[in-house]
Amino acid sequence: MRYSTAFRSGKAALMLGVLALGASSVASVKAWADEPVVQEEESDIIKLSPVTPHRILVQDTAGTHAKDGRIYVVDADQGKLLGMVQAAYNANVVQDPKGRAFYVAETVWSRGNRGDRLDLLPAYDPQTLTITNDEVLPGRALVTPKKNDLAINQDGSRVYIFSMVPTNAVHVIDTATHKVSQTVDLPGCALAYPWGNDGFTSICADGGLANVSLKSGKADVTHTKPFFDPEKDAVFEHSPTRRSDGKTWFISYSGLVYPTALSADSKIEPAWSIQEAAGMKKAPAAEAPFAKTWRPGGWQLSALHYASGHLFVLMHEGTFWTHKKPGTEIWELDTASHKLIRRIKLPVPASMVGVTQDDKPLLFTNDNAGDLFIWDMKTGKQIHKMPHLGDDLYFTVALGE
Amino acid sequence: MLLSDVSARANTSGEKESQSRNLLDRAVERLTRHVASRSSRRSLLGRAGAWATFGALVPTLPVMRASAATPSKPAPKFKAPTPFAAEAQTKDPTACNYWRYCAIDGYLCASCGGGVHSCPPGTSPSPTSWIGTCFNPGDGQSYLVAYRDCCGQDACSQPMCLGTEGDQPSYRPQANNDIIWCFGTGALIYNCSTSVIVGNAS
Repeated sequence: MRYSTAFRSGKAALMLGVLALGASSVASVKAWADEPVVQEEESDIIKLSPVTPHRILVQDTAGTHAKDGRIYVVDADQGKLLGMVQAAYNANVVQDPKGRAFYVAETVWSRGNRGDRLDLLPAYDPQTLTITNDEVLPGRALVTPKKNDLAINQDGSRVYIFSMVPTNAVHVIDTATHKVSQTVDLPGCALAYPWGNDGFTSICADGGLANVSLKSGKADVTHTKPFFDPEKDAVFEHSPTRRSDGKTWFISYSGLVYPTALSADSKIEPAWSIQEAAGMKKAPAAEAPFAKTWRPGGWQLSALHYASGHLFVLMHEGTFWTHKKPGTEIWELDTASHKLIRRIKLPVPASMVGVTQDDKPLLFTNDNAGDLFIWDMKTGKQIHKMPHLGDDLYFTVALGE
Repeated sequence: MLLSDVSARANTSGEKESQSRNLLDRAVERLTRHVASRSSRRSLLGRAGAWATFGALVPTLPVMRASAATPSKPAPKFKAPTPFAAEAQTKDPTACNYWRYCAIDGYLCASCGGGVHSCPPGTSPSPTSWIGTCFNPGDGQSYLVAYRDCCGQDACSQPMCLGTEGDQPSYRPQANNDIIWCFGTGALIYNCSTSVIVGNAS
């Protein structure tokens, strides 16, 4: 009995074993069929598709080792890094409005931290991320990067570079010939806010504007009267411009918005208050330094969605002179009705906000850990977080911006 | 109780007052006579002398006194003109709230091998700078502070400080802390920031 039982058990085990072997063999064969036969390979390079509205450039200043700044190319739909280029020492970047190229303004020294200084404006192919022209500049301002130290005109034929070497001026670069076509001296004024194809405006130390028209081939400069007091309530350099018509919304430290039509004869409209748009009291400026309320602040603290006219501003609660404090909320404002549309609470304070210019817009914010947050503009919901994309994300550049 | 009620009551009780004064006089008289009959002039002088001699030592005894206690946060001697000044301290130049750093932006040279007005070895001070105005809570005066960068090596990378009082955009370069203030040095590479007193602003 005992023997036969054991025999039967053994037979059963054998059959199970055979079955198992058979199954695994089938699986193996199936796996072989799925896996291609491993063959020798050649190195190749990925080529990106043409630029899409949701492929953005992200500027990383890398402040703790600023010689190593970089520009990341990001697929914002997937929250995926597609590549990067180096952007040395407080570098800046603009993109051709049609996405045919992007230009990095950067500075290097021949022996690393010493030797001959070289200011450069490499033009990049946006699909291969290779340099198509490596232009040497006469100089550029070395300042913690602000978007409007570098600007491009509406048809992409001119790049404007703010310089402080040796005095305040804007170099106009012809992107077809890759040459400086002219240098416009602007004593007491800084930055470049482009309007249309033939002009830009700078902000001046007296609280007025300098308008530079290039239409005649030479630079014609006009000045507006001062419209704000820089010592009591300065306007942010990071105020957004709609390049096609030069409409700009200059935002002041206290939260006033000056709608301005930039041109050879810039017109400044009466200011409205962000706080009043939200049903609050207008915020005081430098005359009441202890007054705590909601205020705009951060680095690239504002972004404009051109088609809808919606203005996004990073806001925080604080006293006056907290204009660089990261925002705890984004306030979405309608520039036509001067009304608050929505307040978006941020999971962590952000020093930058960006937006794409299509009809399914995405918003971007950062944090101090170098994370990039990607939001759906219409729902106000976060859709991706790219952990530690870089060290110091300062701003984004989207197609058509 | 209203004041008029109090004065009305005082006026109607004059007689009672004179009676209570007599009572008081009699009680004091009884007490002095009692003391005099039970103590000698010598013992009085002795006790008074002892108090005069040793009483003076009482304040020197090691007791806890409110006036000698170190308060956790001393009351400010001077009224601070700004929120930064209200929280500023005068002892530790490696902390962001050191009074001179009201508008500093960057790495403190005091934490990078240099000092409040000294560059670390291997770097050189910029001859140019922008000027801020900071309030010293120690003496109640405001001072002009030149934020001179130390240049020639890349960022020192110690924890950074960002003071923004009086900081204006770069179209006001004389009051902007974003510009690399290394003009006039060999390479315009920023290492750290000093804050040098250049005058009294009060």
